[in-house]
Amino acid sequence: MKRILVLLLAGAFALAGRAAETRTITIGLVAKSQGNPVFQAARVGAEDAARELGARNHLNIKIDWRTPNEEDAQKQAEAIEQLVLAGADGIAVSCSDANKLTDAINRAVDNGVPVATFDSDAPASKRFVTYGVDDIDCGRQTMEELAKVMGGKGIVAILAGNPNAPNLQNRVRGAKEAAAKYPGLKIRDVYYHKETPQDAVARIEQVMQSNPDITGWAFIGGWPLFTENALKWPAGSVACVSVDALPAQLAYIRNGQVPVLLAQQCYQWGHRSVELLVDKIVFKKNPPEVKEVSPLIPVTKANVDAYAANWTKWLPQ
Amino acid sequence: MPSRRLSLFRLQEGGLLVVIFVLGALLTTFGGRVRTPLLTVGADGTRERVFETNAAGERVPVFVEENKFLNVRNLAQLAKDTSFTAIMAVGMSIVIISGGIDLSVGAAYALASVLGAMVFNHYGPGGPAAGSAVTGVVLGMVTCVGTAALCGLANGALIVALRVHPFIVTLGAMAILRGIAFVVTRGQSVGGFPTAFRGMIGWTTASGLSLVPLGVMIVVTVVGWIFLSRLAAGRRVYAIGGNELASRFSGIGVERVKIGVYVISGLSAGVAALLALGYYGSASSGDGQGYELNVIAAAVVGGASLTGGRGTALGAVLGALVIQMISSGIVILGIDQNYSQIIIGSVVIAAVVLDNLNGWLARRRLVRAGH
Repeated sequence: MKRILVLLLAGAFALAGRAAETRTITIGLVAKSQGNPVFQAARVGAEDAARELGARNHLNIKIDWRTPNEEDAQKQAEAIEQLVLAGADGIAVSCSDANKLTDAINRAVDNGVPVATFDSDAPASKRFVTYGVDDIDCGRQTMEELAKVMGGKGIVAILAGNPNAPNLQNRVRGAKEAAAKYPGLKIRDVYYHKETPQDAVARIEQVMQSNPDITGWAFIGGWPLFTENALKWPAGSVACVSVDALPAQLAYIRNGQVPVLLAQQCYQWGHRSVELLVDKIVFKKNPPEVKEVSPLIPVTKANVDAYAANWTKWLPQ
Repeated sequence: MPSRRLSLFRLQEGGLLVVIFVLGALLTTFGGRVRTPLLTVGADGTRERVFETNAAGERVPVFVEENKFLNVRNLAQLAKDTSFTAIMAVGMSIVIISGGIDLSVGAAYALASVLGAMVFNHYGPGGPAAGSAVTGVVLGMVTCVGTAALCGLANGALIVALRVHPFIVTLGAMAILRGIAFVVTRGQSVGGFPTAFRGMIGWTTASGLSLVPLGVMIVVTVVGWIFLSRLAAGRRVYAIGGNELASRFSGIGVERVKIGVYVISGLSAGVAALLALGYYGSASSGDGQGYELNVIAAAVVGGASLTGGRGTALGAVLGALVIQMISSGIVILGIDQNYSQIIIGSVVIAAVVLDNLNGWLARRRLVRAGH
């Protein structure tokens, strides 16, 4: 009995000691733009990871979200510099322009603040890890899924968002490489637009007006499908495969207009980045590889409901 | 009359200075403290962290604790972040004083950046003319600033020749210039500049402070102040903005002055673009997106009247500083970023309302003095 009491007391003291020592860690999260829902999911992922890891390791982890309203690499660089000055312990960033952010990332690292990149990397910088899809593979996989749906023949258009984003440029490259393997598949063109759902839908409508012979679309980002009624054609008449699988996009799987969505693990961008940063900051542990690839998850009619259930957790409350 | 106008400006800038002081005091008081690693300059001139051995015999970095807002590094950062917008705001103020508006500054900034970047890249470490760094630096600088000035010249010439409202001409120019920037770069980011250029703009003090953007901002402000308040050309800008018809009848070359103000606006965008190129080390056609609104907001907060005839160079810089202080303050205070746009937008509107109130009070004083 005495021994149990001593053990209980020792445990209580240990717990009290730990509570008193609860360390606060601030992790800056700099995504590309506020308005893009994939980055809002990344934010939720980061905040969930902060809560989970905080409880598990007796840490108080704070996520400091500093994302420009519109894509702006200069503003991202300024945000990194401000976070360093404000005492952030680590930073996760999705780079709008790798060249422009390299110096800011290096300065942060030189000041003792480890930096992880997610979604879009700055390969020449001193970031200790990058997490996200392999963009060339992503473009390739999108076009291959489309080719499967179209039976390997038809006229295809690529919807490509911001022409300056290096990750999207790589996806376009991958999509073109994959299309080259199908002699019956002709790429009409790559169409860029401002990365808002409205601009994306407007661009598709313009293109279809002037190119009614297009029979397939490869969306290397999910922008138009973030709105309802974006595709004006009946299911089955024009094939369409898109990257991302946000809640609004899932309706297009259900109505048959989009047979396959390739989900990027955008919730994991935030979640995994925080895990990697906490490992680095608290446990001084480096990841086994600098590049950690997150695979795309195909979403079809078969698994759409199971996938949709995830979003109740991933969306901002 | 000029002395009364001068006193009004003084009053307005005095108000801005009070706002800046109050904001600074609030951020100093409520911003809290931050632990930063202690750095020293090594034998080879590079900055490195200072380490000590703790009780357990481990080598651990040394930290210093300082106020989050009121520390030299943060103030230098604030000045650097302000400088790009502030420099363009001086040019924009001059345009606004003349009764015009320039919506193309962000696009001129992007085009000047990418063309300058292409020249710098050509003479950069990996470029075909890597050996001629000095030539490259000079050519790149001339290209960057010259391109933006030419954009301004084209704007001014079109406004005068076509007699179309500046809003329309510069709105069109905004799309055209950004389109050219995209076509010439094919959407690629351009980096790899001569180290001499990067070293010149990115020069830091021994303690790591980057002061070149601040220095350039001060020079631009002084030049703008001299132009507007000490030169006849500057007074003509006020005259045209105050009453274009009366200025025309009094023999002022309205067209020439109008072209001039757009060239100045272009030049200021070119100088800001050059600084950003040197500091950040790359350019792409997406640069400067939406900057025209930030620059107009800075000029208006700084006291420039959108109806023309009022504004100062110093006011524009202080306006940019107020907006940047709020933006940085949101980070320092740890306020959720979702509220930042609401806060900044409210400040812009409040500044314009105060400006109108100030003008109304001044007019009332004049009427009373007349009686």
